Amino acid sequence: MVSTPRERKWQMVVDMDRCTGCQACVVACQVENNIPINSESHYQQGRAMQWIRIERYWEGEFPNVKARFIPFLCQQCNNAPCEPVCPVFATYHNNEGLNVQVYNRCVGTRFCANNCPYHARSFNFWEPVWPEAMRNQLNPDVTVRSRGIMEKCTFCIQRIRRAELDAKREGREVRDGDFQPACAQACPTSALVFGDSKDPASRVNEAAKSSRRFRLREELGTEPNVIYLSKVDPEARGAAGHA
Amino acid sequence: MPKARSHFLILGSLVGLGGLVVLGAVVFFLGNAWFGLPVNAQAPVQPIAFPHTVHAGTEASGGVGIDCTFCHRNVDKGPTATVPSVQQCMFCHSKITGAGSASPTAETEITKLRDASAAGEPVNWIRVHRLPDHVQFVHDVHITYLMANPGKIVNVTPVINPDGTADAGQTCSTCHGDVAKMAAVQQVRALKMGDCVDCHRQNNAYTDCAACHY
Amino acid sequence: MKTSRRKFLQWSGIGALGAVVFSGCGIPEKELLVQSPALIPEDLVSGLEAWYATSCGQCAVGEGIIVRVIEGRAIKIEGNPDHPISRGKSSAQCQAGLQALYNPQRLAAPMKLRGARGSGDYEEISWEAALSEVAELLKGQAPASVVLLTEPLRGSLGMVARTFMEAYGGQHLGYEALEQTTLRVALKQVFGADQLPDFDIDHADFVLSFGSDFLSSWLSPVRFNRGYGEFRQGGNTRGALVQVESRFSMTAANADRWVYVRPGREGEVALSVAYVLLAEHSERLDPAAANILTRGRGAAALEAFRPEAVAASTGVSEEQIKELAKALAEHQRPLVIGGGSAGAGTNGLSNLEAIYALDSLLGVLGKSGGVLFSPGAPVDGLPAAPKVGSFADWQALADRMRGGGVKVALVHGANPVYGLPADLGFGDALGRAEVVVSFSSFMDETTALADYILPDHVYLEAWGDDIPEPGPGYQVVTFQQPVVKPLVNTAAFADSLLGLARRIGGKVDQAFPKTWATMKDVLRDTARKLQAQGRGSVQAASFDAFWNTVLQRGGWWDVNRKGATPGLSPIRLPASPVEPQFAGPGAGGFYLVPFASHSLGDGKGANLPWLQATPDPVTTATWQTWVEINSRPAEAMGIKVGDELEISSPRGVLRALAYPHPGVSPEVVCIPTGQGHTHYGDYEVGPDLYRIRVARDRGANVLSVVAPSQVDGTGALAWASTRVSVRKTGAFYRLPRLEGPVFADFRAVEEHVPLSTA
Repeated sequence: MVSTPRERKWQMVVDMDRCTGCQACVVACQVENNIPINSESHYQQGRAMQWIRIERYWEGEFPNVKARFIPFLCQQCNNAPCEPVCPVFATYHNNEGLNVQVYNRCVGTRFCANNCPYHARSFNFWEPVWPEAMRNQLNPDVTVRSRGIMEKCTFCIQRIRRAELDAKREGREVRDGDFQPACAQACPTSALVFGDSKDPASRVNEAAKSSRRFRLREELGTEPNVIYLSKVDPEARGAAGHA
Repeated sequence: MPKARSHFLILGSLVGLGGLVVLGAVVFFLGNAWFGLPVNAQAPVQPIAFPHTVHAGTEASGGVGIDCTFCHRNVDKGPTATVPSVQQCMFCHSKITGAGSASPTAETEITKLRDASAAGEPVNWIRVHRLPDHVQFVHDVHITYLMANPGKIVNVTPVINPDGTADAGQTCSTCHGDVAKMAAVQQVRALKMGDCVDCHRQNNAYTDCAACHY
Repeated sequence: MKTSRRKFLQWSGIGALGAVVFSGCGIPEKELLVQSPALIPEDLVSGLEAWYATSCGQCAVGEGIIVRVIEGRAIKIEGNPDHPISRGKSSAQCQAGLQALYNPQRLAAPMKLRGARGSGDYEEISWEAALSEVAELLKGQAPASVVLLTEPLRGSLGMVARTFMEAYGGQHLGYEALEQTTLRVALKQVFGADQLPDFDIDHADFVLSFGSDFLSSWLSPVRFNRGYGEFRQGGNTRGALVQVESRFSMTAANADRWVYVRPGREGEVALSVAYVLLAEHSERLDPAAANILTRGRGAAALEAFRPEAVAASTGVSEEQIKELAKALAEHQRPLVIGGGSAGAGTNGLSNLEAIYALDSLLGVLGKSGGVLFSPGAPVDGLPAAPKVGSFADWQALADRMRGGGVKVALVHGANPVYGLPADLGFGDALGRAEVVVSFSSFMDETTALADYILPDHVYLEAWGDDIPEPGPGYQVVTFQQPVVKPLVNTAAFADSLLGLARRIGGKVDQAFPKTWATMKDVLRDTARKLQAQGRGSVQAASFDAFWNTVLQRGGWWDVNRKGATPGLSPIRLPASPVEPQFAGPGAGGFYLVPFASHSLGDGKGANLPWLQATPDPVTTATWQTWVEINSRPAEAMGIKVGDELEISSPRGVLRALAYPHPGVSPEVVCIPTGQGHTHYGDYEVGPDLYRIRVARDRGANVLSVVAPSQVDGTGALAWASTRVSVRKTGAFYRLPRLEGPVFADFRAVEEHVPLSTA
């Protein structure tokens, strides 16, 4: 019989003490998800399209200076501020805990991006183009978004679906570690851990128990499904406790 | 300034007229797209006039009754149905040349295939069933479901095995119609989203947008 | 009917609109094409993915990767989870390899120069003609006047190239763009190591790194990043990292403490640390090593390096040095590494010797969390370490070329015309050769001078193997197999060499076994020798089983065959500081610290749009060459982000965009490598209104201002021994970078993240 998949809640843990800001996740995501090549103009106009990006910020000044890296991606919020403002229901929450963006529904109002406190959404201001030969690389599992469409991190839903189908073909449930999103798979320091938080034995559940755990802009009540583990710095200056 | 005013009048009416024409075109187009026939309700002209009637048709109707999965051999194993390779056609057609066939076109058409094989060249067919890029459709899971639930198969009466299941080749007609009776394949079902969703609802299948759109 | 111009325009406008409306809604013809391929393997299930293990050709490490292939097209690259170096992990460069495969600028067929050299006017010829003509050419030359210039070659390809040139009699020179000559010499002197050793960061609890940006570009970044993750959060105690470097690099950004040191003074700091260790923590040191290194005199031998004596010259305070020594002494498994800018001053060799002597003193050689030595190749005759020419060798070659001593130059995988300092004039020198034959896959600055181009496959289309360097401390051979069919009419470099050998005949032909027709045969021979050893990760009774398993797993390794830990080194530490020499302005100038671009590396990655568009971790800049300068001097000079700066040294001038930031010392300016190509990456990408050229005429090449000084005792390029003056030209270009006002508010959020000690 057809069965709706077991109830799931996909989560990711980002360990900022492991993250080195090396950008492997960023490029892996570009490759996996058919994200348009960011040209100079994308960056100059603040319209660079990255589903996961690494923000760098400074603390202090020479010689006592620190640079911090935080990977940002769609937080897949339980109370996602982007969802209620979409006039065409192109973004909604599904029963896997994913904040889904339906490209064929999107009409490009960009209300969702304005309402996202994490700047996690990218808008296709231009028709994506690739040199003809490079189109051979495009992932057939992922829709190429045209101009005027909003897009964002999907937790590599195409990999989730592939893993589900493979499990179905083998007559079993999806197991922890069957697949990872492209960013987590590439991450050389294993700073990104992904899995189903409803599975008590999953690695993501284990990682999320850390005492360093916090979520971005938790005070907004967005209930993000991306959990951050704070950077440890024995020499932190003026580090206040997290509110 | 009457002259200028008349100019404005003419300009205004022309712009209005142009706008109407555009609006009409848009309405016509959208209406046509929304209510129109399936994309390939008329069978496209294929590079080789391949008769499914002969290959898949029953012996009673003059065919040889080959099972669908004999040629579309991975349709129940993976996402895509796949057209067979030229080499695979030549399994039979290295012997069957069409000479002496009752059909006047058989030999010329089969020769096209044999020429392609000899030259090692592909045959470029015209796609009949096409879903848009933003839809991810997977053949094998649908077939597996229909095999277990042969009662859901429509358009033909399937052959049911003693254990109550059907073979993979029996399920295709549900979406593709009775291809065995088509001399040239055409689309019979709208295969638009409503069509998919109706069926998913009837069968208590996943109707999450992200089941197919990602 | 008379149609007025206005009416005509109106109607044509409507017509055009209609055309747009309707053309936008049709299905493009190519999407309605569905092909019966002539032949497909029966077991290939269309739409399902297949993964093939192979070796990464994006950097020089020799990591194992797996490639996702759907219907004959390579779609995605991941690290090989089985492979000892990558363990399933990858870097931005590994990921971007697909754009090399599907590069629009690939050289698609063998070519022969028709017009003048450098005109780019080539005619296509057949492979048969290309190989025959080049073979004839080589037959007619005095072997001594022929040179083969390649990237550092190891494994079977290294063996083929070496055999070819030894039999023919010409010179084979390896070109390492980010030259590690000094590091190799230092490791040889201090440890007696012939191969680069592994630094077991994973299991260390304190890492003191001098100048080596090991998380970004130094030696084997994927492997070191993997180790770093474990080092930080993999065990019960969190490892601590201190970076002593003259640039605020990505590694410095991740370190618990960054210690700024004046360029060229790293050795003094290391020796000062050694002095404190000997004087105050001698109980923690290996007594035998301390005895040898100080000739039995202990701390007294390093009297000249007392912390208070070196603080002024190095810029590192007395307290800092004492703290470093204390930290090294207090931790259980300390590790000291050095390289990069620390080895790139004129005194680089003595710096690195002093740095690695600390490892000897601390007794971490061959221990978990220490320096693990490489065991050499598992198969005789297979080069495990590449033969690399130093900068001095390249200078000598350029002189020989200018003197007419080189008639034919064969070039593969190296772009010395771009990658050697402009001052050397290597392009001019190469132009003196009668014939230049390039085996490059892409048009680049060196290939632009070629008379014949015999394009190589991209690594995803070719057979090969590699011995990773640095390895994991035990024997590894990475196997490389084609994952896609060659897309254009190219031939593997090894096949071309074998083809040339057959056509030259005589002793060159005889040097190769008759069974070696292609690289695949060579590789199968290597595999046979491996199988005969009957040990390691893959063992099989039949060769076919062995061969298939080795290809499936992406290689062969034997965790039990470790490198031997060398005996104590006889080097002696200097009695007084070795002063670094600088070219360029003294007062009013800045130290120039060039650094390897995080994404573009030595410039090889510059033709891949994904890498061009990857933000630099520290500055978030993309697509351009920028100059890192401290915010305060920048403010004083009125320099803002995006202002064009003119950087002048006695050897040249370059223009690049300013990026002032608080993390750079006011004494230095830092400029990345990788840009400033004149031929490479000559195609366009980007949305229609903003199409840009990928690499050609983009940014500036920092090597155009680097003085061609050598590191004393190694002949390597001392690329951090130039001083420059900085001038604002008045021009401005918006620096394409990720950070911007729109994201600024996140800083406020992150400032109250708890930064507690776990």
